[in-house]
Amino acid sequence: MATTRRRFVQGSVAAATFMAAPAIGRASETPAAAKTLKAVMQGDLRSLDPIWTTANISSYHGALIYDTLFGVDANDKPQPQMVESFGTSDDQLTWTFKLRDGLGFHDGSPVTAADCVASIRRWAVRDGAGQHMFLRVKDIGAKDDKTFAITFSEPYPLILDAFAKAGTPVLYIMRKKDAETDPMQQITEHVGSGPFIFNTNETKQGAFYVYDRNAKYRPRSEPASGMAGGKIAKLDRVIWENVADDQTAIAALQNGEIDFYELPPIDLIDQLEADKNIHVEVLNKSGQIVWCRMNWLYPPFNNVKARQAMLYLVNQNDVMKAAFGNPKYYRACASYFGCGTPMENDENTEWFKEAPNKEKAAQLFKESGYDGRPIVILQPTNFAVFNTADQLLAQWLREIGVNAELAASDWGGVVTRRANREPPEKGGWNIFVTSASGAAFGNPITLVGHQANGEKGWFGWPSDETHEKLRDKWAKAQPQDRLAVAKEIQRNAWNFVPHVYMGLYLQPAAMRANVKGVIGMPELIPFWNIEKT
Amino acid sequence: MIAYVARRLASLVVVMALVGVCVFLLLHLAPGDPAAIIAGDNATPEQIAGIRTKLGLDEALPIQFLRWSTSVLSGDLGVSIFSNTPVTTLIGQRLEPTLSLALATLAFAVPVALVLGVLAAWRAGSSIDRASMIVAVTGFSAPAFVVGYLMIYVFAVTLRWFPVQGYTPFGENIADWARHLVLPALTLGLAYVALIARITRATMLEVLAEDYIRTAKAKGVATGPMLLKHALKNAGVPIITVIGIGVALLIGGVVITETVYNLPGVGRLVVDAISKRDYPIIQGVILVFSAVYVVINLVVDLSYTLIDPRIRY
Repeated sequence: MATTRRRFVQGSVAAATFMAAPAIGRASETPAAAKTLKAVMQGDLRSLDPIWTTANISSYHGALIYDTLFGVDANDKPQPQMVESFGTSDDQLTWTFKLRDGLGFHDGSPVTAADCVASIRRWAVRDGAGQHMFLRVKDIGAKDDKTFAITFSEPYPLILDAFAKAGTPVLYIMRKKDAETDPMQQITEHVGSGPFIFNTNETKQGAFYVYDRNAKYRPRSEPASGMAGGKIAKLDRVIWENVADDQTAIAALQNGEIDFYELPPIDLIDQLEADKNIHVEVLNKSGQIVWCRMNWLYPPFNNVKARQAMLYLVNQNDVMKAAFGNPKYYRACASYFGCGTPMENDENTEWFKEAPNKEKAAQLFKESGYDGRPIVILQPTNFAVFNTADQLLAQWLREIGVNAELAASDWGGVVTRRANREPPEKGGWNIFVTSASGAAFGNPITLVGHQANGEKGWFGWPSDETHEKLRDKWAKAQPQDRLAVAKEIQRNAWNFVPHVYMGLYLQPAAMRANVKGVIGMPELIPFWNIEKT
Repeated sequence: MIAYVARRLASLVVVMALVGVCVFLLLHLAPGDPAAIIAGDNATPEQIAGIRTKLGLDEALPIQFLRWSTSVLSGDLGVSIFSNTPVTTLIGQRLEPTLSLALATLAFAVPVALVLGVLAAWRAGSSIDRASMIVAVTGFSAPAFVVGYLMIYVFAVTLRWFPVQGYTPFGENIADWARHLVLPALTLGLAYVALIARITRATMLEVLAEDYIRTAKAKGVATGPMLLKHALKNAGVPIITVIGIGVALLIGGVVITETVYNLPGVGRLVVDAISKRDYPIIQGVILVFSAVYVVINLVVDLSYTLIDPRIRY
């Protein structure tokens, strides 16, 4: 049979129709664009298990598909979410929690107390607050399908704060069979009871992630507030696009190809603010704190004078100006508990009013017995903020006669080397700069960097017995007494100087002007309550 | 010929074995710890150590290498440390955008480059020659990310002719598939155009100075057939060689172009894997790339026999 032009065209059309057939079928199921939000988040969703990894993006994923027992509201107060009622025994040792009606997983099975107990156990292995709590837990178990109880060896008023905290890892409630997975291994199924369902069929790992509205979700009746209140999904679908390049993401936002961009570079914010179709807003008002960790195991920072010198050396405004430029999006912060957090105070911050004072910093270094040895600063060149901060720090140290050496690598290299406890000249280090959510600094228990328990603690390994006793005192204090204890902690902390702050920045998010209802809070971006008008 | 192909395919195994050893050692000796990245910034050293143990990263390098190479020999490239998905599945998912981009680039670059190169040689020293070579040098000198941003600004943001980013699978919507590939293919193709156009010009100049071309002209052969049938065919071997060599350039360019245009291809997969030290993905993709490169070179060598009957293996 000879191939004619007509047959060729007919064949091509038939082939194209055949290849496009699956898409035509899918198109009828795809939600309308007006009910679909396309977002570019802070990075790729590398792991789908928000307990196994503490990556923030995995926690955002968790907030979409899982629910929580409690959630912090806009005022950082724990409020019941899956829990209908709760109470404590007269001796304050036993807490009992009852789940509300109508809670169900996306596979149709009901949420039970046994699911909650298993989820709490797994979370507690990986979370600092959970570990702190479980040191005092005598017993935990389900009493019936909807009720579970926890018994402590001593009163533990922090329990609701731990259950409600938004900092990663968040206590997301998983099915018992998922929650019984080894905490050091990933879960393999992603079935929650939250307001959105993870669409594994349409998700393409590394490219985009699809979440569909959970029509069976029963939100609380209270208005949405932080992680608390009614989680009403007003969108039918949320798609996270993994766009690695900032310029591309900004162009896509301007073109209307995406609706929400979590972390636009601050030096391009002016361009976005000038676009009437785009709205720029700081969602996390307590910001992100850039901080400098010093290695307590080796000179000079095993001497308190050298650490105090760093307080006087750092000019936070200069670091922030160099990194972010626009003063609208940064500030200096003196409080050990961050700025804008409930525990913020100005106890023992005279150094802050004086800094930068290079003469005093030089004098303190001299008093520390500094002998001219090289100070190794880990410099992640692929992390603009830290790279800038490291370069300024090195320059200031050199100006006061300290022999600062920058050890350049990528961030992956820094996270490996900072774990090295060998002397700096043998692959160890003296200084590295990192950042954490300002809200996380507001809690001396949950942020692992607040520990001062020596080599058992976080990188830098600060050690101070008084600090540890005061942290314990804060944990046992009633909520109304915590600020007073926080002041004691801060007074002591800025004397022994576990670390130094290099500034606080407020990262704005950018979204199309028709995107309304984004809930601003630290640590998480909730996708309920959002709508496209 | 069959013996030659068999020998070359046997050498593929040796090349891949060497690549495997080098990649494994480079990755594992370079700084970076996936366990620390998984655990996050708030993790204690003990938690990181626990994850490292679970991942088997605390074992001696020879043991890790033995385990990996044994599974590769059985066709299993391993499982992504982060996504828990088999590497072969991940590569399979990403092949279509990368192949689409590579084919679209070749479809654009090869004809354009041949035309430019032939015209430049035919009118050597003229304004056509200079213009062609300016295009070639500019295309070769301009980095893909600069060209990419300019293309996005002009054709996507300002004129709105094409989308800024993303990819539509061929089977989903052919028109959208093509629209998403135009700008990336132009961006990636510019350097390729330059490379092929320059070698075409140089080889054509040599061939056009040959006696048989003068004879053809004297016999009154028209310019078109003379250039294409007599000259270009005889200039074909070095041009095809450069197209083959250019595949390496294409692989490198794909990584950048896929990032700029947010194409979910193999290039993006490996860049993301490098940043998070997902060793199995990096090792798997580089092994596949090396095999592709060796096979393409073999195909190029074999294609010589089609255009030059004097070449026989």
